Amino acid sequence: MRYAYFPGCSLGASASDYDLSFRTVCRALDIELVEVRDWVCCGASSAHATSHLLSIAMPVLNLSHAEQDGFDRLVAPCLACQARFKVANKEMKEDRKVREKIHRAFDYQYRGTVKVSHPLEVMIEEGMMEKIRSRVRTRLSGLKVACYYGCVLTRPPEVAQFDICENPQSMDSIIRALGGTALDWCYKTECCGVSMTLTQPDIVLKLSNDIFREAKEVGAHAIAVCCPLCQANLDTRQIQIEDRYRVKYGIPVIYFTQLMGLAFGAFSQELGLEKLITSPQDALGICGLM
Amino acid sequence: MRVELTENTDKLAKRLLRITGENAMLCYQCKKCTLGCPSAYAMKMKPHELMRALQLGLENEVFWSGTMWICLSCETCNTRCPQDINILKLIDGLRASSLKREYYNPVPELPMLHRLFLRLVRRFGRIYELGLVLILNLKMLNPLKDIDMAMPMFLRGRLRIFPHRSEGAKELRQVMSRLEAMEEEE
Repeated sequence: MRYAYFPGCSLGASASDYDLSFRTVCRALDIELVEVRDWVCCGASSAHATSHLLSIAMPVLNLSHAEQDGFDRLVAPCLACQARFKVANKEMKEDRKVREKIHRAFDYQYRGTVKVSHPLEVMIEEGMMEKIRSRVRTRLSGLKVACYYGCVLTRPPEVAQFDICENPQSMDSIIRALGGTALDWCYKTECCGVSMTLTQPDIVLKLSNDIFREAKEVGAHAIAVCCPLCQANLDTRQIQIEDRYRVKYGIPVIYFTQLMGLAFGAFSQELGLEKLITSPQDALGICGLM
Repeated sequence: MRVELTENTDKLAKRLLRITGENAMLCYQCKKCTLGCPSAYAMKMKPHELMRALQLGLENEVFWSGTMWICLSCETCNTRCPQDINILKLIDGLRASSLKREYYNPVPELPMLHRLFLRLVRRFGRIYELGLVLILNLKMLNPLKDIDMAMPMFLRGRLRIFPHRSEGAKELRQVMSRLEAMEEEE
């Protein structure tokens, strides 16, 4: 399978381990990724808080590059990016006024032929589960994982068109295929506070603490994530959270692609494990991986 | 609080309906939005109260509450609303119209962040994380904010010192300028 790949700004900097591990896993699963030519920022929350048209135009610019280069599938690992892309595709299809205005602003007229997916969607496509099972060399036996999906992967359902909205299962089924235990818990899709980390960190500390508390309650050894912003909030602020709320968590926050790579037998340098702030050593020791 | 109903009461809701396509008048105050909202605890005006204020045309109260900036855009309220009101779209409509308005904002950092974010993207085509954080901290008069996070991130190679320039930045600037001209016309 061949995909246009939109890494997004975070994966080029603070979340380079997500980029590295996703590429490694795709190589192992015979998925070809081609970076979108001259891609630019998707606009994230700043664009839609400023101008509706701008929030559609920024994803459309990238989508039109992919379309011009002959791709009909695009994969974006960041939740914010993939959500903005999906909104843009939907509005371009359904809202004639928006489409006309956007077309006036561009030299190339985007036709809307590029389908956007998150890596989790790619992984649970038909036939992929068997493929994942066949690549596993070290099973994650005994590792209890709380899968954290974040806010806009499944919301709102008419835009996301993926998984069960309030209790998603895709990442859980991947963890099970790797031999690990996916825990049932109720903070799967609660928000971590996203960009408030820059201006109102107190909100992030509170919301992230709620997530950690629940993960600890159900006995998680690790939290698996699928978004660079969730990972940044939970991982880099864990020490601050522990100080603020006088608790000890020490729960590593690992990308699901890193867990896949570990089970496939990839080296830790190929997965960027050394970039995690809370060390995954104890958790991975349980299943004999470190 | 006593609110006099006049013929101008629904002006605000009508204006938002025009720019966002969402009708605030459909809300019947079931409070599902507030109960599911992760940041409602930090809002002086909760989401369902915001909806009522929109229906009553309490424009100043809406802007002064800061609710539109405390909202995390997590889409929980939209997903659960029994009336299918896209509350986030209404809030985005308020955010966009706040740009042309002078008002007391209890959380000025948020619009400042969005302005700075888009300025950096316009320049480089992509976001320059470290630059964004440094400039924002300076502007908030808190230059050492989160300094304890910087070292562990730097040591693990998670801070990119220099911005990454995208070849697409020129095209993006062109599109942005055209959109601005179009919005000016309207």
